Amino acid sequence: YADLVMDETEVSESALVRDILFVCQGIDGRYVRFDITSDCYGLPESLKLPRSTRTMVRKLCELGWLFRKVRGYITESMSSFPAEEVGTIGQAFCSALQDELSDYYKLLAVLESHSSNPIPTPGSISGVQGNYLSLRRLAVWLAEPMVRMRLMAVLVDGCRALRGGAMAGAIHGRAHHGDPLVQEFMGRLLRRVCSPLFEMVRSWVLEGELEDMFAEFFIQSQSVKAESLWREGYQIQSAMLPSFISPALAQRILRTGKSINFLRVCCEDSGWAAAAAEAAAHVGTTTRRGGIVYGETDALEALVVEAAKRIDRHLMDVIHKRYRFKDHCLAIKRYLLLGQGDFVQYLMDIVGPELSEPANTISSFQLAGLLETAIRASNAQYDDHDILDRLKVKMMEHNDGDRGWDVFSLEYDARVPLDTVFTASIMKKYLRIFNFLWKLKRVEHALIGVWKMMKPNSIISCIFTKEGASVKTQFVSVLRRCQVLWNEMNHFVTNFQYYIMFEVLEVSWARFSEEMDAAKDLDDLLAAHDKYLNSIVEKSLLGERSQAIIRILFILFDLILRLRCHAERWFERIFELQLRGTNKSRTKTKEPGSWLDGGRKALMQHAREFLRQMGEDLDKIAKEYSSSLDSFISQLPVQQHVDLKFLLFRLDFTEYYSRLSPSS
Amino acid sequence: GSKPFSMDSFSRGSNNVIGSYPVSVQELLVIDDLLSALVGIEGRFISIKRVKGKECHVVFQIDPSMDLALQELTERIFPLCQDYVLINHFVESKSQFKSGLVNHAFAAALRALLLDYQAMVAQLEHQFRLGRLSVQALWFFCQPMMGSLHALSTVVEKASSNNFSGATTLNLLQSQAKAMAGDNAVRSMLEKMTQRASSAYLAILERWVYEGVIDDPYGEFFIAENKSLQKESLTRDYDAKYWIQRYSLKDGIPSFLVSVAGIILTTGKYLNVMRECGHNVQVPLSESSKLMSFESNHHYLECIKAAYDFASGELLNLIIHKYDLMGKLRSLKRYFLLDQGDYLVHFMDISRDELAKRPEEISVEKLQSLLDLALRSTAAASDPCHEELTCCVERVPLLKRLNALKDLDTTDPSVNNKPTSDTDLQSELLNITGLETFCLGCKVQWPLSLIIPKKALTKYQLIFRLLFHCKHVNRQLCMAWQVHQGFRAVKILKTPILRSSILCRSMLKFINSLLHYLTFEVLEPNWHLMHDRLQTAKSVDEVIQFHDYFLQKCLKECLLLLPQVFKKIEKLKSICLQYAASIQLLVPSVYVPEVATNDAVGPFVQGKSKPQRSRNKNQQHEVAAENNIINDSIMKFGKEFNEELQSLAPILASSSQAEPYLTHLAQCILGLGSDQ
Repeated sequence: YADLVMDETEVSESALVRDILFVCQGIDGRYVRFDITSDCYGLPESLKLPRSTRTMVRKLCELGWLFRKVRGYITESMSSFPAEEVGTIGQAFCSALQDELSDYYKLLAVLESHSSNPIPTPGSISGVQGNYLSLRRLAVWLAEPMVRMRLMAVLVDGCRALRGGAMAGAIHGRAHHGDPLVQEFMGRLLRRVCSPLFEMVRSWVLEGELEDMFAEFFIQSQSVKAESLWREGYQIQSAMLPSFISPALAQRILRTGKSINFLRVCCEDSGWAAAAAEAAAHVGTTTRRGGIVYGETDALEALVVEAAKRIDRHLMDVIHKRYRFKDHCLAIKRYLLLGQGDFVQYLMDIVGPELSEPANTISSFQLAGLLETAIRASNAQYDDHDILDRLKVKMMEHNDGDRGWDVFSLEYDARVPLDTVFTASIMKKYLRIFNFLWKLKRVEHALIGVWKMMKPNSIISCIFTKEGASVKTQFVSVLRRCQVLWNEMNHFVTNFQYYIMFEVLEVSWARFSEEMDAAKDLDDLLAAHDKYLNSIVEKSLLGERSQAIIRILFILFDLILRLRCHAERWFERIFELQLRGTNKSRTKTKEPGSWLDGGRKALMQHAREFLRQMGEDLDKIAKEYSSSLDSFISQLPVQQHVDLKFLLFRLDFTEYYSRLSPSS
Repeated sequence: GSKPFSMDSFSRGSNNVIGSYPVSVQELLVIDDLLSALVGIEGRFISIKRVKGKECHVVFQIDPSMDLALQELTERIFPLCQDYVLINHFVESKSQFKSGLVNHAFAAALRALLLDYQAMVAQLEHQFRLGRLSVQALWFFCQPMMGSLHALSTVVEKASSNNFSGATTLNLLQSQAKAMAGDNAVRSMLEKMTQRASSAYLAILERWVYEGVIDDPYGEFFIAENKSLQKESLTRDYDAKYWIQRYSLKDGIPSFLVSVAGIILTTGKYLNVMRECGHNVQVPLSESSKLMSFESNHHYLECIKAAYDFASGELLNLIIHKYDLMGKLRSLKRYFLLDQGDYLVHFMDISRDELAKRPEEISVEKLQSLLDLALRSTAAASDPCHEELTCCVERVPLLKRLNALKDLDTTDPSVNNKPTSDTDLQSELLNITGLETFCLGCKVQWPLSLIIPKKALTKYQLIFRLLFHCKHVNRQLCMAWQVHQGFRAVKILKTPILRSSILCRSMLKFINSLLHYLTFEVLEPNWHLMHDRLQTAKSVDEVIQFHDYFLQKCLKECLLLLPQVFKKIEKLKSICLQYAASIQLLVPSVYVPEVATNDAVGPFVQGKSKPQRSRNKNQQHEVAAENNIINDSIMKFGKEFNEELQSLAPILASSSQAEPYLTHLAQCILGLGSDQ
């Protein structure tokens, strides 16, 4: 039998075993060689071997093939370490693989020593060493490394193109395996691979440092100006976000580091270090390196949550206490949104005449002086100097024919770090609101002016008592119409102003201050402020969707202003007439001359003519006004915002308008 | 990355036939081949044939020229080889990622077993090399492995042919272990396999039961999450399925968990509710509560029970104390069931004009601000929920709405099925006003919306609409009654006023006793019953059940589910309304001047001149004519009312057998009937 076996096999089994041990390290053996064309190890066909041995060898050689692949990847990455392609996480991956391989080398060394023991034959019964190696024994030895090597090969295949957080995520994706062996192996590997990542998270969360040379971290920084640091300075790279860190957690991580940076850069504050240390102490992991490892996502989350909580609290403290955020918001509401009534009234009084001039003749210095006067004269003088200093007059760009009214506005200077909240675009929104409110105020002011002019006319009317009853009735009727129109306008403006001031500004402010107190971090605060501002813009018809209706509203305002202009002229004439009339009555008692009589007739004629003219003008304005108001009211229900329906029902409380035009 | 290796038999290299050797040599050769065959490798004289049609199923064949006795001996060992090949294939294929955690774990356990097996083969080889092994000895050494490998191979075959994964694999293993109960060794081996295969599964279960998280990448767990169902749907949709279908049981529950699957599902559901509330609750873990195994000592059942108790207690505590369920229910009762009705009186006073309009003309905003006014200026302002109240105006009358809600299981199907003609509907729609269709709404926050979903709120609204309308009828009748009070000083004997005031009184009594029945006989006792039961509730599901039961019972006893009776009541109410309206219109126009002239202030009348007297006479003619009209109409109303009321009696009597509460109603209303 032995002869027969010898006859069939050209190569001894121990030689093959030794060959395979070489192959397992990626080295060609004496008989077993790597065949490039078929991409596998194999025995040359010419070698005479039994079929079973051949199959066995081929099976064992799979390990060598896998090894080649893994080692190929490692050497490839190692050679490009300093370059940017691999990155620290790739390095960690490589070194973890390397460690696994060194375990494997150790096994091979042991096997090597076994292989030198001779394979026993039936003859040599005595002195047999138990730990020799045959092909079958080798198969038993190598079964477990084979599983591991296969896994590594799969990972290498899967991660070849990836880097950074994406690589960690990809490896994590393969960690879900029911096999305890695989689980343990993957756990070990991931702990190594993720340690640089967790280190980055730790230093970012506790120190605000981005230690990311190869752009592997899922947070990316951009160099921006201090004011937009918060909004644009740092972004999450979703491609680099490994799947074991949830987006919410990532957001929180981002915000924590951002807060630290914000405190450091914008607020020049250093109290955050104490907060971070406290957070770290609370969690239990020291602020040393390598505190957190993979698998303890809970620990990571706890650390991040604690750090976030403390640092956010500190940041809010700084914002509220040192930079007095709420005071500034309140100041903006009081001055820019016209919340401080006496100041606004006084400012309107003294600035009004100035603003009627053409825009290019107005000096902003003078306006600044007037603003100062208004502050002095109103309760605003008791306000904080810091706040008052920030209030400035701003002249907008003006075209030909613009009046001062069109370009005047107030401005509030929010300095670092509050300009993170009050950015330029936000201030622009405030400006729009201010302009709108200012216009509303002006219209109201104008209406009050008309009222002041009309008031003395009840006395004037007595001049027509004696003669010309027809003129008197004409006068009374015109005056009455004028009063009715004024009343209608006043009703509209008062209600509209009520709506803006109470239903819009105050309600929004109440909500905002509630949310401001509840805000736990700067993002909440920004969101609350944005919501506040947007709700004001939306509700006061300044939004995108209500452009049509705001145009009608401005037409209404223009009509009211026109009424004021006309009224000024009319009452000037009326005063004139009155003067002449009283003169006459006085002179009449003295010397009733005939020329006077003629003059009187002319006067009456004149007055009749004037009153007719005035009535016509009045009718025209009234007609335009009522048609515009109609379309305004008909547009109101179409608006999206629910609160506008309240405005409608307030304007139309007695259902006068809806009864007036039931058809439409 | 594994290289494929073929198991096909290829043409033998040597032309030697084994039969040409002596038997002792044949034996040595065949042992060498057998050792290869045991690990699935073809030898010189043993070849592997693939069976057609079945994947990975192979048959070993031996060279027929061999010594026959040796052949027989060898062939006895072949089943073992075949089993090995089968199991090995399973291990290779099921270790891939997509086959699921349970299969991974099972394959790993199998691999460990196969490693033992290979080691055994290597030991045999050692013996062989020392020249101590005969085929007979080989057969002997293989014996212990044969039974277990065979049992496993049947399992594996079933699992891979049916593509089992997850729970089905576990079930298969377990049933196989039970089926092999006779063979102790095999049975314990299979049980060990089950144990190891289920460890991954138990980890999933543990996360669900202790944290409420489904961590199931391969879809093996028996609980499915339907992410498309949002919790907001509870307050929006009438038929919201959130609570029932958000998490549901799938097919393929492992047999050892079947009995507790429901409890497991609810436990995780409760934990999820708490998480959605922002409460990060974790079941306190101790070593003893770890779900390590599911052996026969039922430790795992206790663990699951403990987790369930904790979760349900915690959630109940959260809902009842933190979110103040009872307070919410109490304020719902206050507003919808008119517990403290002063706000409603105020509201009806100020919104009378608005509500008298047609539903589509009513401005809901105006109603809302009126409602706010009413709420803030009455005792309701002290209720914490008064800001959450909204109002809405529906388009269809209550009866239509009831018919539309099919699933309230109205007891009279004939009425439901009878289609109402379109014209009928049209005319009905034309006649209704806001008074018929006004109803309240209420914002319910998560997680209270679990207990008060849209459906429950709708039921509250139905009851509210009924009560609201009854109140309205009552007010109208009171107004009519006031009209009659003007005649107290007048002699009204034999005038229609007398008749009218009697009718008015009986109508008032009817509506008052109806209201009394609804509130004191139905709503109050039922509410107290529910209140007491809620105090003893053990879990949220019980709370939901009690609350639903309460609503259903109230709806039923408020007659809303008995269309026959309810239609009669509606008809009676509409007669009352018509009567009240016509009285308020007719009587003042006719009688007040008469009173003024005939009786009121004597001297003033005498001061009048003659022509006026004659005019008075004229007027008296007219009055007489109108008197007749009024007389007729009052007679008509009275007749109609009494007829309807009497016709109600037999209906109530007949159905009071089935619905005992109707006797109460009959006593209330028909007690009045017998008075007359």
